[in-house]
Amino acid sequence: MVWDVACRETLYIISYMIEIRDLKKTFGTHMAVDGISLSIKKGSVFGILGPNGAGKTTMMKVIVGLDRPTSGSVRIDGRDPAVRQTRESIGFMPESPSFYDHLTGLEFLTFCGSLFHTQAMKHHEYLDLLKRVGIFEAKDAPICTYSKGMRQRLAFAQAIVNDPAYLFLDEPLDGLDPIGRRELKSIITALQKKGTTIVFNSHILFDTEELCDEIGILHHGSLLYSGPIEAFTKGQPLEERFVSVIQHLS
Amino acid sequence: MPASLHTILVVAKNTFRETIRNKVLYAILAFAAVYMLFTLFLGSISLGEDLHVIRSLGLAGMYIFGLIITIFLGSSLLYKELERRTLYFVLSKPISRAHLVLGKFLGLLSSVAVCLAGMTVLYLLMVAFKGGGFDSSAILAVFYQLLEMSLLIALTIFFSTFSMPLLSTLYAVLVVYIGHSLDLLMQAVQGASAPVRFFVQLLHYVLPNLAKFDIRSAIIYDASVPLSQALLVVAYAAMYVGLLLCVAVFLFEKREI
Repeated sequence: MVWDVACRETLYIISYMIEIRDLKKTFGTHMAVDGISLSIKKGSVFGILGPNGAGKTTMMKVIVGLDRPTSGSVRIDGRDPAVRQTRESIGFMPESPSFYDHLTGLEFLTFCGSLFHTQAMKHHEYLDLLKRVGIFEAKDAPICTYSKGMRQRLAFAQAIVNDPAYLFLDEPLDGLDPIGRRELKSIITALQKKGTTIVFNSHILFDTEELCDEIGILHHGSLLYSGPIEAFTKGQPLEERFVSVIQHLS
Repeated sequence: MPASLHTILVVAKNTFRETIRNKVLYAILAFAAVYMLFTLFLGSISLGEDLHVIRSLGLAGMYIFGLIITIFLGSSLLYKELERRTLYFVLSKPISRAHLVLGKFLGLLSSVAVCLAGMTVLYLLMVAFKGGGFDSSAILAVFYQLLEMSLLIALTIFFSTFSMPLLSTLYAVLVVYIGHSLDLLMQAVQGASAPVRFFVQLLHYVLPNLAKFDIRSAIIYDASVPLSQALLVVAYAAMYVGLLLCVAVFLFEKREI
């Protein structure tokens, strides 16, 4: 009996690598995240959807350890996200990223990579990564000369500079042209095939539908739904279903 | 190399790169160079005291421009990262906030040291050009100045954990002004009422006594600076820097980003 329970718990931990339990985050009197509990499977692509101000970015910041929860807990691989070992296996791309404008793209990427003491890449690997995200030609140009799309690509590159087991992307496809979106989506798909667990926020529901195994719908800081896309859409297009659910609640 | 030291040095290198490429810094350095060269002219109209004038104004100029660079770069160092959210990139990596603060401190100190070194080379060339030979004692004055700048960098980092750059600049200028006047203030309040004396004494104990770092007059008049005094000043600066950075880390840890 005890063995059976232990086995089930172990299997649960192995299959669900991101565990969020009754997570709350308040700013003064405003409840940005209101008691969210969520499990994200290992190797899956999980999309967090919600209207503006739903708490998506706040939740992601708490998950990656940038903000502390007011209450509740987040466990990645069974560990607190603020712990160094957890950070070693995390990649994070913030929304509308800002950079050190006086650095070049290559210098910035090298800087980000060097913060991973044990996993730091070699020079040619940084160049390969810049090629992969499509900004190799601009590697020696100051970041202040980059377009919005190039900045998005650079932000994506720094998120995968440590070859993370867990990748958190906040609006990764925002500001990209159709070619850029296709390129980044193909990288995301390749990472998923490699076993990377990917969590991302997006307003672009078409891309979410295309990339995600499961979704979570947030509204006013609460989780309305979590699970497979098909179970949520019930045969309707994701955008249509999402809008009708949110409008119904509003 | 231990992981923590490696991380601090990576942040320091990045901060150095970012600050040394700031265009405003070059404008300040250009002004500094023009001022230093202008002292040659002032020396030439000083009736035989040209070397004294060049040394006196040159060292003072290096101090003023070093101060401007330090406060200008230091007051926005952390705030800019918080406001522009570049910290998200850094703090989502395996790095603590304490390492970030220490790295920022060392990076800015390196930038200020390079700027001071540049001004010192120009100063030494000018003194040599005017027949003063190699003014080795000036290097000690610059070293003392660098100690003061390190204290001010720690101070501006401390201020920038809770205030905007403009306010940080204002606070830093106030501390510099009061810090250089503490001995005078103590003398001035000898006959004052008890509450005033207590307030000035409190300032004397809490604020750094920056007059300790000013040996420019001694150097210009070729007075010797004992080694014991130099070591005491180094220890004094190290203590204040350590204390300010500890408080800055404490406040920064508490702050939501």
